[in-house]
Order: sequence, then structure tokens, then C-alpha cells
Amino acid sequence: MTVLSCSGLKRRFDDVLAVDDVSFTIAEGETYGLLGPNGAGKTTTISMITGVLERDAGEVFVDGVAMSTHTIAAKRLVGYVPQELALYPDLTGRENLRFFANLYGAGRRRVEFVLDVVGLTERADDLAREYSGGMKRRLNVAIGLLHEPRLLVLDEPTAGVDPQSRNQILENVRALAAQGMAILYTTHYMEEAERLCDRVGVIDSGRLIAEGTRRELVERLGERDRISLQLDGDLTHAASLLGAIRDVRGVAPHGHGLELVVDDARECLPAVLSAISTNGVVVRSVEVTEPNLETVFLHLTGKALRE
Amino acid sequence: MKVLSIGWVNVRRVVRDRTGLFFLVALPLMLVFILGAAFGGATTPVVGVVGDAGALSADDAVRVRNFPDEPALRSAVEHGEVSAGLVRTDDNAPRLLVRADRTGQQLRMLVTTSLTREANRIAAGEFVAAQTGLDRDTALSLVDSAGVEPVEVRVSTTGEALFPAGYSGFDLGAANQLIVFTFLNSLTTAAFLVETRSLGVTRRMLATPTRARTVVAGEALGRVSIALLQGLIVLVGSALLFGVRWGDPLGAASLLCAFALVSGGAGLLLGSICRTQQQTTGAGILLGLSLAAFGGCMVPLEFFSPLLRKVAFATPHGWANDGFAALTRRGGDLLTVAPHLAVLLGFAAVLFSLGAWTLRRAVTR
Ligand SMILES: Nc1ncnc2c1ncn2[C@@H]1O[C@H](COP(=O)(O)OP(=O)(O)OP(=O)(O)O)[C@@H](O)[C@H]1O
Ligand SMILES: [Mg+2]
Repeated sequence: MTVLSCSGLKRRFDDVLAVDDVSFTIAEGETYGLLGPNGAGKTTTISMITGVLERDAGEVFVDGVAMSTHTIAAKRLVGYVPQELALYPDLTGRENLRFFANLYGAGRRRVEFVLDVVGLTERADDLAREYSGGMKRRLNVAIGLLHEPRLLVLDEPTAGVDPQSRNQILENVRALAAQGMAILYTTHYMEEAERLCDRVGVIDSGRLIAEGTRRELVERLGERDRISLQLDGDLTHAASLLGAIRDVRGVAPHGHGLELVVDDARECLPAVLSAISTNGVVVRSVEVTEPNLETVFLHLTGKALRE
Repeated sequence: MKVLSIGWVNVRRVVRDRTGLFFLVALPLMLVFILGAAFGGATTPVVGVVGDAGALSADDAVRVRNFPDEPALRSAVEHGEVSAGLVRTDDNAPRLLVRADRTGQQLRMLVTTSLTREANRIAAGEFVAAQTGLDRDTALSLVDSAGVEPVEVRVSTTGEALFPAGYSGFDLGAANQLIVFTFLNSLTTAAFLVETRSLGVTRRMLATPTRARTVVAGEALGRVSIALLQGLIVLVGSALLFGVRWGDPLGAASLLCAFALVSGGAGLLLGSICRTQQQTTGAGILLGLSLAAFGGCMVPLEFFSPLLRKVAFATPHGWANDGFAALTRRGGDLLTVAPHLAVLLGFAAVLFSLGAWTLRRAVTR
């Protein structure tokens, strides 16, 4: 079942076209990663989806409720964790949560519950100003969970966070998705996206330029696994031997050795190694490259995800 | 109610800020005290006396403090511990020590009159005793019973007293401080609104199922509540601590509310325009103090030139100031200050509309 459906989102700031015709959907229990370099338009897209920024064009439906005409009803279904730490620094964690619980119409019990979920119960009565960076981030996430939303939108929830808090946040997100919450997630950390997201959309200069699961994206790019071998001995002979292996799609010289393009590097590596060693060629080093989102990203945008 | 929730968070944050609290409570009341004491009003002058104070002890206009000898008295006069010193030994004519200022002049009149009256009474008593052969005490009581009627001098007043009888420097200072601080602190605490905006908290509120107008109304309520709190602190604090009289309670309460609305509206507007907290505080102090000066909160409106008076009544401060003066100095009531209230509510309406519009634009654009 589709929880979020947005179509034709567009937004211009003076002479910057920040978001240009972005459309995608997220299903129940699905985690969707929005990836893009700095200034790609992720936050602008998310702000339009959560209804805090006016759209120049396009429509957002949450559980079939239109953000444009039934704004309040639609917002009731969305939890929002903004990129910045949108908290009152001079209120305690609990006071911050109670304040937003009032706005969401959530009860006191729910406040205690989310405090527990993000592991802040013990520090709940300290001022948010006195929290560590990771704790502030966790409180920031907690506010988005107060009203058990159908769609949870997280804009770089782990930016600048220690590994412990990061893991806690990632675990929270995973558990929520398992309960059926739809999740929209942006991050600059590729490993997070790979670990968490069922599907990924790549956005650059305001346009959604590719979308799919990691494997789909990798395959669409024609990216394959690669095995780089540094060899001593007769390279031409080795190349012809290796080219004969079933899974090997191509062989090319590469430094003092060869680079093979293969279907599945892990599966055919034993065959490659045994073919070479029986023919008097010495293997100095082996390097396996499986294309990941980082590669996809570089390929699509020409930019590294973290600049 | 979400509006109340948002308003309350604003008040809570201001009250929780320790340095802010100093400017909100301690400073205005301290100024009421310092300025009140400097303008001198409320205290009865003290006359130091060496020897018998005589009729002076019975005079309501002065208080008497006894000194053992002249050097001690002289030093007390020089240091301003007493307003004047009277040396009255049996053998010599009484001598008065005063400083060369207005209080000195006034006391000279007062003491001379009092002592002369006393001398006259004794002289009359002795005359009666000599003529009738009665003893001295009986003669004196006869003199007292004769009760010479004081000469009636017809007095007609013209113009109004600038400051009516019993009006103290505290009364004058308190109304001014109320106006200055209610407005000034409403502007400077608008820095909290700027912080709320720049942290993204306002946007976050908009992501909740809360209408933009509710968020704006909540922030506006917060600004007004803070201004009202500030006004109440000065009003109640000065009344309790220094016995300041605010005149007709209904009139004073309405003026306070109307001026708190003006201040809150100005705070909302400033907090929606400014981008940084420093900007807000700076602009707040500049605006707050200059409007206070032009509105007659530093120098009384009565001393203004006709042109400056026109300027004063272009500011809400001028109107509030004149309104409070009507209540405390001219014995006015709610009806007297109705025009003031109308003008202040007009100011408030304009400031609120502008503030609400700007804030809404600033957070949803
Ligand atoms: N309020 C605004 N006024 C003017 N320009 C804006 C505003 N908000 C965003 N932009 C511009 O829109 C573009 C997209 O910004 P956005 O914040 O959506 O990027 P992002 O993908 O979230 O980047 P990051 O990874 O750095 O968070 C940028 O060029 C940015 O400068
Ligand atoms: Mg962003």
C-alpha cells in the first residue's frame, strides 16, 4: 500500500530552481533514501512533502490525503525530523517533547515512551543545551515519533553524530519500518543508505535522475564487479586463459596486471585464481571491487556524496 | 489549546533566563527607587538639634534628631545626613546651620516660623501673668485658650499644579519605568523569537497539525504575555515596595494592558524582521530608548517644546505617559484615558498585523 505519493514537485528560490519536477512514492514499511550532493534539493523536497514550504507546483498525498487541500489531516500522518536541531535549548528534553506532544495532540504517556525509545529517559530533565551532540540528535528524532506517524521523514538525522548514537538512531528507524511505518531518509553516509534503504532516489540539481534498489541502479549503469590482479609472468597468455572462464565478461591490461569484469566477483574468484596459478604466473595482489551506491552516485552526478 | 501552549513556552523561556530576569525585575524596580530617591519627593526633612527642640518636635513638616554638640551637628549637616541643624543653648540666640540649597532655604522659613510662634506664645503668657498675678502655667493655658485665629489670606490658584500635593518622585519615576521597560524588554526578548525561527523550531511547529495562523497567534500571545508580565512587575512591585500610587485601578489596568499590546506587537514585528539575535537586541535597545526619550519618559512632557510635544504624541510612549499622568497627577479615571486607550489600541492593531504578516511570510516562504 502506498503511503507517500508525490508528483511534479517544483520550487524556485529567486534564480535557483531548487527542486524541479520530482515525483516518487513510498510504500508501507518501505525505507526510501533520497541521496544527493550538497544543495541538490533534498531538504527543499522534504520541506514541501512535510508541508512547511509552499510548492510552486506538484502535489503530495499521504495515505491518500492531499497536502494542498487537507493540510492538517495530512500533517497528522507525517512525522518530521529536520536537518537542523529544531529544539528549544533552554527547555529540558521532556519539556521539549511535551510541548510538541501538545501540538501533535499526543499524550504524556507517549512522551515517556519515545524518551525510552531513544534512550533519553535518564537525562530527560536536563536542559537540551547541556546534551551531547548525539543526545540532541536523538531528541530531535524523538519529537518526530510522538504521534505514531504513518510516514516518518528524516533529513540527515545522523549528521555529526558519534557511532553509538548513530547506531541507536539506525536501529530505531529499522524497527519502525518493521512495524510498517513508511520512511523517507536522506543522508550523506553511503553505508547508512545501503544498510537501511530498500529503495534509493538520486537527486542532483533539483532533479530526480535515477531511482531503484541498489542492485537495479548498479545494473542500469552497466556497472559490474571487477577483479584487479597484479601479476608477474606472461600477461598475454594469462589474459587468454582468464577470458575463457565462463563468468568473466572482459579482460583488460591494468598496470602490471589485468582487470577482469565479472558477473559476481565472490563466486568466480576461486576459478580465476586456480586458472592462473596452474600456469606459472605469480599473483602479487588481488583486489575485488563491487560497485556500490558511491560508484553509482559518482557515475550519475560526477560528484562524491560527501564533499 | 495550542495557542496557549506556544505562548506559555515563550514566557517560560524568558523567565528561565537568569540575566534576562535581572532586566525584567531587578533593574526597573531599582530605577524606580533610585530616581524616586533622587527627585527627593517622599521623605520629610530631618533637622538635627543641639539643645531643646521646643515647638519643632510638634511640627509635622520636619523630623527632629538630637545631637550632643555643635561639631557633630555641623558634620552631619555637611554630609547631608540631616537637612539642617539647629543650635539652641540657653544663653545665646538660636542658630540654624543649612547648606546652600533649596531645602536649606525652605527649612530656614519653617524653623523661623515655628520658633517665632513659640516665642510669641511665651511672651504673651508672661504678659498675662504680670498683669493679672496668675501663675505662669495658668497664664499660658489662658493664652492657648484665646486661640488667636490666623489671618485669612484668600488664595486663588491659577493653572494646574505640575505635581499635586503628596505626589512623590517615586510616583513620577514608576510610570516612566513601566513604559520604558515594558516596551524595551518586549523588543529585546524578541531575540527569543528570532532564535526560535533560526533554529527551525517555528518550521517544525508548522510540520505538526497546527495552522500557520495558530503558530503566529501563539508567538504573538507570548510576546504580549511577556510585556504584560513586565508591566505588572513594575506596577505591583513599585506599589508594594515604595507605596507608589497609580490612581484609578481600572484606568491603570487598562492602560497597562493597552501598552502591553503595543509592546507585544512591536516585539512580534521586530522578532519577525531580524535575522540574528544580536540584531534584535541592538535594534531593541536603540528603538526602546529613543522612543522612551521622545515619548517623555526621561524628561517630563511638560518641559517639552510645542514641536517636541507633537513628536511625543506620535509615539505610543507619549500617549501612555500622558495617560498615566492623567490618572496619577490629575485624578483621572477610565473615561479620562479613553482617548489614550483608543490610540494605543490603534498602534497595537497596526503593529500586530504587520508582525503577523511578516512572521508568516518569514516561516512559510
Ligand atoms: N530559503 C532559501 N532561500 C534561497 N535559496 C534556498 C533556500 N533554501 C534552499 N535554497 C537553495 O536551494 C538549493 C537546494 O537546497 P537544499 O537545502 O534543498 O539542498 P540539500 O540537498 O538539502 O543540501 P544539503 O545536503 O547541503 O542539506 C540550494 O541551491 C540552496 O541554496
Ligand atoms: Mg539538506
